[in-house]
Amino acid sequence: MSIIKKIAKKDLGKLLDEWSRDFTVFSPSKASGIARMEVWQGGEASFLDWYRNTVIPPKDIVLPLLEEMFSFSKSEEGYKLETPPADDSKRLIFGIRPCDARALSIIDMTYGDGYQDNYYMQRRNNTLLVGLGCTNPYDSCFCTALGGNPHDTTTMDVMLTDIGDGLLAEAVSQTGKELLQKTAELKAATEEDRTKAENVKQAAEKKISRNIETEGIAEKLRACFEDKEFWQQTAAKCVGCGICTLLCPTCYCFDISDEKTEDGGVRVRSLDSCSFSVYTKMPMENPRSEKWQRVRNRVCHKYEYYPMLFDTIACTGCGRCIRLCPVNWDITQTLNSLPG
Amino acid sequence: MENSNQSKLIAEAKARLQKGKVQRVIGFAQGSLRFVTTPLITSDVDELEKLVINPFIANNLSNYLVGLEGKTAITAKGCDSRSIVSLIQDNKIKREDVVILGIPCTGIIDLAKIEKLTGRDRDEIEDINREGDKVTVNIGEDKKEFAAKEVLYDNCLHCDVPTPEEYDVLIGSPVNPKPEAEEVKLKELKEKLPEERWRFWQEEFSRCIRCYACRNVCPSCFCQRCFVEESQPQWLAPAPHWQDNLLFQVVRSIHLAGRCTDCGECERACPVNIPLRSLTREMYDIVDDLFDCQAGSDKDTPPLMTAYEDEEAEGLFL
Amino acid sequence: MEQSKDWEPRIVGFLCKWCSYAGADLAGISRKKYPANIRIIRVPCSGRVDPLFILKALRLGFDGVLVSGCHPGDCHYQSGNYRARRRFAVTKKMLESMGVDPRRVQASWVSASEGGKFVEVVNKLINDIKEIGPNELFSDGKQQPVKTDS
Repeated sequence: MSIIKKIAKKDLGKLLDEWSRDFTVFSPSKASGIARMEVWQGGEASFLDWYRNTVIPPKDIVLPLLEEMFSFSKSEEGYKLETPPADDSKRLIFGIRPCDARALSIIDMTYGDGYQDNYYMQRRNNTLLVGLGCTNPYDSCFCTALGGNPHDTTTMDVMLTDIGDGLLAEAVSQTGKELLQKTAELKAATEEDRTKAENVKQAAEKKISRNIETEGIAEKLRACFEDKEFWQQTAAKCVGCGICTLLCPTCYCFDISDEKTEDGGVRVRSLDSCSFSVYTKMPMENPRSEKWQRVRNRVCHKYEYYPMLFDTIACTGCGRCIRLCPVNWDITQTLNSLPG
Repeated sequence: MENSNQSKLIAEAKARLQKGKVQRVIGFAQGSLRFVTTPLITSDVDELEKLVINPFIANNLSNYLVGLEGKTAITAKGCDSRSIVSLIQDNKIKREDVVILGIPCTGIIDLAKIEKLTGRDRDEIEDINREGDKVTVNIGEDKKEFAAKEVLYDNCLHCDVPTPEEYDVLIGSPVNPKPEAEEVKLKELKEKLPEERWRFWQEEFSRCIRCYACRNVCPSCFCQRCFVEESQPQWLAPAPHWQDNLLFQVVRSIHLAGRCTDCGECERACPVNIPLRSLTREMYDIVDDLFDCQAGSDKDTPPLMTAYEDEEAEGLFL
Repeated sequence: MEQSKDWEPRIVGFLCKWCSYAGADLAGISRKKYPANIRIIRVPCSGRVDPLFILKALRLGFDGVLVSGCHPGDCHYQSGNYRARRRFAVTKKMLESMGVDPRRVQASWVSASEGGKFVEVVNKLINDIKEIGPNELFSDGKQQPVKTDS
């Protein structure tokens, strides 16, 4: 039996406080100077007034920009290697958008494929997702073109729909069901609440204005791989920074570096970007030394290679790459104008 | 007014491209989002119909000039033309290889400021219009009016070269520089104690994700191999520790001494809102103070760091 | 920030091979004592010094940096020290504007015959650094308490 409750918006602060007893709760915040998920510190849930989506995607909670893998040191006794203590603390991400949640399930395909990335998996498996559906998508959003929608529940544990004075909470997974059952004083949703929610969901989906024709996109990309002129023209205005990659919720490439400390060192993993010219630089050569090759690679990786491997386009239409690009390079324009 | 300038610009660009005087044209076209323009780089005459002049042509297009073959016609606002001159000073491009289509500029509208003042995001706004010193913003039935100086970019408020000084053709009437507004952010920073200033920068650079957008949009950052990409020796950790983020930006500002024209692109491009101009403008003022240098003002002046006087800056040496 | 009584400043000096390094050498030969706080890196010319070296030294934790070259007009490579002069000037001013005590980073003109001057320069720098305190600029994590008596 499905569990559907209603959370009054004025009670949201208290609810997050209650959940904070069992979880480290993350919610959208601008306290750092940029919209991102931060640990809930109590108070009013004022983010409901402005929150449409964060700049830094919530993936940074399970796949941080920077993390220590292990440290090593040398003393009189010999060499020592220390891994950080297992991070199986329980986390709860409140207000994650469907595109960002679906993106996590796309990253799971790589990080759980054969070799399990223990750093990522440990956090991912202990993080509960309480999603918030979008009532007001951006003009840069295109989740519907990729099989998602503003209230998609892929990989969510609980899904919230904004119905004005409150949030309708629907349990999606067993974990989500348990969470809602455990949470004291949540009223059951009325028939009226459910109808309102249905209307909100339908209205939100209609607001998405951007679209890509994804039918046969992988084949089209394969066909124009050698079209150097097309890709050079497409890549001409790109400046080769890492904004689209570092802020993409489905991007997962990382760099590993060793850093010296006073008595040894530490191995650190940080997110990397295929847009950088040094990304494929090797002693003998660099197969993607030119910008147009890197732009082509980025598009093909998301829309051709990933589907080849996992039957899924590695993009969920969050639109950050379009909104944040300093030169307004737009992947939907490129995909809609492929030659042939 | 701007429409007739726009037509003139298209005509000039077309004429040059059709006659083979240039291999390509670089200008602004309407972007895929409202109130956003995007660079147009094309050798196709028909594409030139897309060229626009409006209050949102923010990019510094001179960034694209280095390494191009043949001749290029380029749309340039006052600040852009100074960057072009700066590149000529550094011998990265030749004057005869660029045809500068100069556009006198009354300032570019900062959407972030409008979003902050109206409490709405860009895509919720229907229309933004500028007439003289007034900017009107239409949101549904609502109509808000702002003084231009409330919504223009900070560096536009301090612009002393609104009309390009180096150009081949000037499209539109020259604009006189307005008296300088106060640089509030910089003033506040200078008023902090030294230790507070350093910790301010520590906090700001804790957000840095090392996307290098600041470096890549900068026309003056033209090194083929940036010092951050060196691994022998490795000057900075590739990982985004605040210490290395800060180190990167300080060294970048110093490397650009005498080249940076304060176009503000670095700050505009930063996705995490780091006030980079508060650093770059500092260097801009330092070189003006110490050496009377205004980057990009004279194409025949050698670059700041390659020139010297017999006696200067002696007070700083033991 | 309480520094231990045993703290000794660590300073790095970039000395040009033709003048300043020779000057330092002369100081040694003349048995003129100068403290061992300074570690010397020989460069072919003061013009070799990229401001990046100065910043990197601070990043590594050095408490002070010295750049020293031939007197203006006497550079072995004609104009190297003129370049160093401009670069150093903007670097020092930039660091000062960011809140770094300008005395941490100093430059001098020391010729090959000025062993005595070299000793003076080093002693002055070390005393200045002892006054300022250890370099905590890039230390991790904890916020420094704000000093109010500078």
